[in-house]
Amino acid sequence: MAIEERTISMLVNNQPGVLSRIAGIFSSRGYNIRSLCVAETTNPEVSRITLTSRAESDFTEKIKKQLDKLVDIISVTDFTGAPAVQRELMLISLRLTPENRREILRAIDLFGCRVVAMSEDYLIMEITANKDKTAAILRYFEPFGVEEMNRTGAIAVFRQKREG
Amino acid sequence: MNTIGADIVLKTLAEEGVEVIFGYPGANTLPLHDRLAEGPIRHYLMRHEQAAAHAADGYARATGKVGVCLATSGPGATNLVTGIATAYMDSTPLVAITAQVDSDLWGRDAFQETDIIGITMPITKHSFMVRDVTQLASSLRQAFQLASTGRTGPVLVDIPKDILSAPCGDQPKKIPTAPPKRIEHPEQIERIAQALNRSERPVIIIGGGVKLGDACERASEFVQKAQIPFVTTMMGIGSVASANGFNLGFIGMHGNELANRTIHQADFILALGTRFTERSTSVIEEFAPLATVAQIDIDATSIGKNIKVDLAYEGEIQDALTALIPLIVPREREGWMGRIRVERDLQEAKLKDGGCGQAGNLIRKIQAAMPRETIVVPDVGLNQIWTVRTWQSHSPRSLLTSGGMGTMGFSVPAAIGAKLGAPDRDVVVICGDGGFYMNIQELATISSYRLPIKIVVINNGHLGMIRQIQDLFYESRFTTSELGETVDLTAVAKGFGIPAERVAVDEDPAEAIARMASAEGPYMLEAMVDQNNYVYPIIPPGASNMEMICGK
Ligand SMILES: Cc1ncc(C[n+]2csc(CCOP(=O)(O)OP(=O)(O)O)c2C)c(N)n1
Repeated sequence: MAIEERTISMLVNNQPGVLSRIAGIFSSRGYNIRSLCVAETTNPEVSRITLTSRAESDFTEKIKKQLDKLVDIISVTDFTGAPAVQRELMLISLRLTPENRREILRAIDLFGCRVVAMSEDYLIMEITANKDKTAAILRYFEPFGVEEMNRTGAIAVFRQKREG
Repeated sequence: MNTIGADIVLKTLAEEGVEVIFGYPGANTLPLHDRLAEGPIRHYLMRHEQAAAHAADGYARATGKVGVCLATSGPGATNLVTGIATAYMDSTPLVAITAQVDSDLWGRDAFQETDIIGITMPITKHSFMVRDVTQLASSLRQAFQLASTGRTGPVLVDIPKDILSAPCGDQPKKIPTAPPKRIEHPEQIERIAQALNRSERPVIIIGGGVKLGDACERASEFVQKAQIPFVTTMMGIGSVASANGFNLGFIGMHGNELANRTIHQADFILALGTRFTERSTSVIEEFAPLATVAQIDIDATSIGKNIKVDLAYEGEIQDALTALIPLIVPREREGWMGRIRVERDLQEAKLKDGGCGQAGNLIRKIQAAMPRETIVVPDVGLNQIWTVRTWQSHSPRSLLTSGGMGTMGFSVPAAIGAKLGAPDRDVVVICGDGGFYMNIQELATISSYRLPIKIVVINNGHLGMIRQIQDLFYESRFTTSELGETVDLTAVAKGFGIPAERVAVDEDPAEAIARMASAEGPYMLEAMVDQNNYVYPIIPPGASNMEMICGK
């Protein structure tokens, strides 16, 4: 079975212990969680968890059934391949030199990144994009000597309100 | 006395129909233990928390009700773990209540503080940490609801001591829950019926879920109407009374060769309440290679978990069978039944004593001496396989065994629970010497409550099943499996206040068995068997269900 990256999103009761139950379902079946994002929804009693994991194609069905059994999970949605907008936020800090400064600033502009902090020899930029694009941008800047990088992991929203 | 959290706990338990709890006190349970004297609930003081969990489990298996056990924080709670896991693996409805240290001490490594919710997360359906006394009743009610519905199983409720002793008002009464949903996808049932009606060589597999879902009567009705042979898993034994040659025995590693071979030839399998564990199927790729598989289960995660299924229905087995029965066209499959008869005669000629030797004869004699409604509780090891192969179960709640977890030490405490749940039925334990040691302290519970439980320890001086595996698959190197003969188990039992005697199985044990059967109170029989009394046939590790062997 083909291994691919899967994005799963769930609504859960905003309660202690919920995340460790979810993590337990993945870990006890040997799946690695590649990214994870948790935040409250418009209803403070409900949180949304979005995570990605690399797995076979029957993974979602099997894991989803297990997740559905957890009492504190309200719903589970698979975004993999679905018509949805996916984004992650990435912060990159770089050391600037007189030689690379111009090129870096030009690239930031071209990629549509934003500079969020800057000094003579130092810069932090912010990128919001889908995962393929953040990965490409990171690859581009790596030869300049990325000092630090941090990203949120994917979040996603369907393009249209789905039925049911 | 003012109402405190502990009163709410007891009141809610009583509302849930709890009559008996199995427990052990500690400083943090005391607010609760202190109030027990006032209520209608009987608390049985076990001699170990592990045994409290097994007793609650045995109670649930014997009655179908939710079993309840109670332990203190820290070591009390961790001692429950094996018992909770045993219940989880066999889907026994259980509510485990643990006391926790005062809430202002959490996270400070206080005396006897452990994160029991974290520890038990993978072996419970759910757990509740009660953070406020006003949530006590609702948490407990949800725990009972969860434990007893869907695929049943254990739920843990952790209650800090300050909440048990917190003054509080009465809490709102139970709100009746909505009736469970009924058949939602009749077309799936129809498809299963069509495939079954078309099939030439059908077999039903009855798993533990049939008992758990109270679907035994429906299943019998189904077998009778459809005229289809059935096999069971070990957990399914006794669900359907053996009738008209349709019962082929149980499948798997230690199962009946007839059952294993028939499944192999089947062209259609209807699986009821089984997850197809590797103990039942051995090499899954070689299991039922010719069959279309239809699976009916309450638990979505069990469907297709281990085997590829062609047709499936998710829901109550009872409902599914009720819908299925009218759609079945009874057919005489003379060729198929004829083949099975020939195979049965062949197997019976091959295994004259059922593969259990003298130990099997002993168990047959014990059953003959006991009333028909007796509950038998085997432990784990050869004794378990001898029992499940030999004992004829006439009704669903008569054989209580730790199948999924295979927990040595299960039998004696589970029998205590069974006896208290079914006081009108006789209860017999059949145990190995190894497993007997594992909860031997419970003889004190039996004798102090004068519980008329009959205990048969089949003593081979060894961890017999381990010895057999070493003999067959480790070139007879018997390391670490000898227990020796230095202990006089009858003297031990007598020391606990339980009458006991020793017999050798190859001399005639009938009189000793008769004395045990007619004893008023508890009784222990130590039956000496040869260390080479193994069980056959058996499937070697890594082999398929078709490769059972009958000797070295
Ligand atoms: C708690 C526990 N520990 C270890 C095992 C592994 N085990 C399975 S059978 C067995 C031997 C059991 O010996 P005994 O109780 O004497 O029964 P016999 O096989 O001789 O009937 C062992 C050690 C187990 N099932 N449970």
